[in-house]
Amino acid sequence: MQKYEKLEKIGEGTYGTVFKAKHKETHEIVALKRVRLDEDEEGIPSSALREICILKELKHKNIVRYLINEGIEDNKFGNGLLAKLYFSVREARGIPRPPDFDNRPVHRVHLTFLLHLLRLHDVMHSERRLTLVFEYCDQDLKKYFDSCQGEVDTAVVKSFMFQLLRGLAFCHSCNVLHRDLKPQNLLINKVVTLWYRPPDVLMGAKLYSTSIDMWSAGCIFAEIANGGRPLFPGGDVDDQLRRIFKVLGPPNEETWPNASKLPDYKKLLVLNPAQRISAEDAMPHHFFSDLSPSFRA
Amino acid sequence: MAANFWLSSHCNQWLLDREEIELERQRDYQYFKEEDYKKFHIFFINFIQALGEHMKARQQVIATATLYYKRFYARNSLKSIDSLLMAPTCVYLAHKTEECGVISQSRFITACGAVVKNKFNFAFPGDQFPYRMTQVLECEFFLLEMMDCCLIVYHPYRPLTQYVADLGMEDAILPIAWRILNDSLRTDVSLIYPPYQIALAAIYMACVIQQKDCKQWFAELSVDMDKILEITQEILQLYELWKSYDERTEISAILSRSPKPKVRPTSATPGQTPSPVPPES
Repeated sequence: MQKYEKLEKIGEGTYGTVFKAKHKETHEIVALKRVRLDEDEEGIPSSALREICILKELKHKNIVRYLINEGIEDNKFGNGLLAKLYFSVREARGIPRPPDFDNRPVHRVHLTFLLHLLRLHDVMHSERRLTLVFEYCDQDLKKYFDSCQGEVDTAVVKSFMFQLLRGLAFCHSCNVLHRDLKPQNLLINKVVTLWYRPPDVLMGAKLYSTSIDMWSAGCIFAEIANGGRPLFPGGDVDDQLRRIFKVLGPPNEETWPNASKLPDYKKLLVLNPAQRISAEDAMPHHFFSDLSPSFRA
Repeated sequence: MAANFWLSSHCNQWLLDREEIELERQRDYQYFKEEDYKKFHIFFINFIQALGEHMKARQQVIATATLYYKRFYARNSLKSIDSLLMAPTCVYLAHKTEECGVISQSRFITACGAVVKNKFNFAFPGDQFPYRMTQVLECEFFLLEMMDCCLIVYHPYRPLTQYVADLGMEDAILPIAWRILNDSLRTDVSLIYPPYQIALAAIYMACVIQQKDCKQWFAELSVDMDKILEITQEILQLYELWKSYDERTEISAILSRSPKPKVRPTSATPGQTPSPVPPES
């Protein structure tokens, strides 16, 4: 614990407190998540073990440097996306998902690229306390939008979008759907969730597949590329559908002026969910071709 | 990119070289010979098995606990932490990571006591389980840290059932191969080889025992048969060792020769145990 100097508290949850902190020698900024160990209880709590497990496995997959602010900000781990991923990783070893797995709401978690980047660095132990040390990256997209006043650098769009697709590709490969993808800081009221909902779902489809997340990704893609202006800010379901059809009706340059500048919203925003591109297939697109190889790794 | 073995910490961080493992053990071989070292760990893995069964844990929990135990001593001398503390700690941690719920502390300590007294009386005559829960919890952390938090482990049981189904010989092969896998926990194979290879070795051995011809099937798999034979060899060595070894009469002498942590508590002074010595780096 002496290694780090606490800077500020950034979260408080049921099983611990999260601080932003600085390494005293390297000056690296990290997030410290402190887990209280109650002597009368179970030792290292199962919830913390789950978090350690999944972060460890994800790190090894080199996939995500990571995109989930859950666990730090929201301690309802049992309901979160991390929990879903965790059970999926376990499923790969032949352990059945818990019976209520599919009913667990994911909407409390926001798969986002604005994030407190999470990457487990270290686990420290002192008397009665376990501390998880995370990589910390305070990149706030909203702040970024504000600072660039509507003009977003294409390189940033690429990097955000690629991270989002990579995260989704991983989730989908684990048979985990996010189902409610949206930029966290646009989470103002209930209507907002409509904005990222694909037409098939708006029209009452009950059978979701991974394409539901890809539609949302397309909406977010357009939004960040347009300096934070939502693509389909519908007022209700009908209005939402109208806006989508208005834009996507006859899919050509006339009805969609930005399409040539920002290739392949179109592939994500395909009305028929069966024909919507997958995250895995979207990643090799030439739009991302000039991203550095290390970023892709 | 699916969640699978090839991308796991088990595959990327915890498949070790045999040379690396043997090098680490040289320190302990100064105290007793290699064969005693093997018998020592077989004994404590039997302890893990007995404790797991006493607590009605699934074989998955027992296999995970065993692998935790093997990982710890693959990187640490027997002098670092007493195996009699480490073995139950592995069960305690595996029980949580395998999602089998929380065991109450009193129930756990009672179980440890019962197993020492009823099952391993021949090794610890008249003795009680000398540790307290605070020590188990402390040891749990050393274990976690030493494994670099790699808690998700893969076992050969699942590939076994899949391969045997493909082979279409469930009745003839599965029970024997399954037992061979249980036995293989007492060897180093799970530290060295990926689970699917261990499963195949068990099938290979079971086929030989049952006189089933599986040459064609193995040929079509295009696996590295050298690896399969290495694993087979190591498991056969275990059976060879068991032929002329009576744990009940010989283990006491082996335990007394074994390298020991600086302070080991006795039942008379359970409260005076210092923390386990941190793993030597």
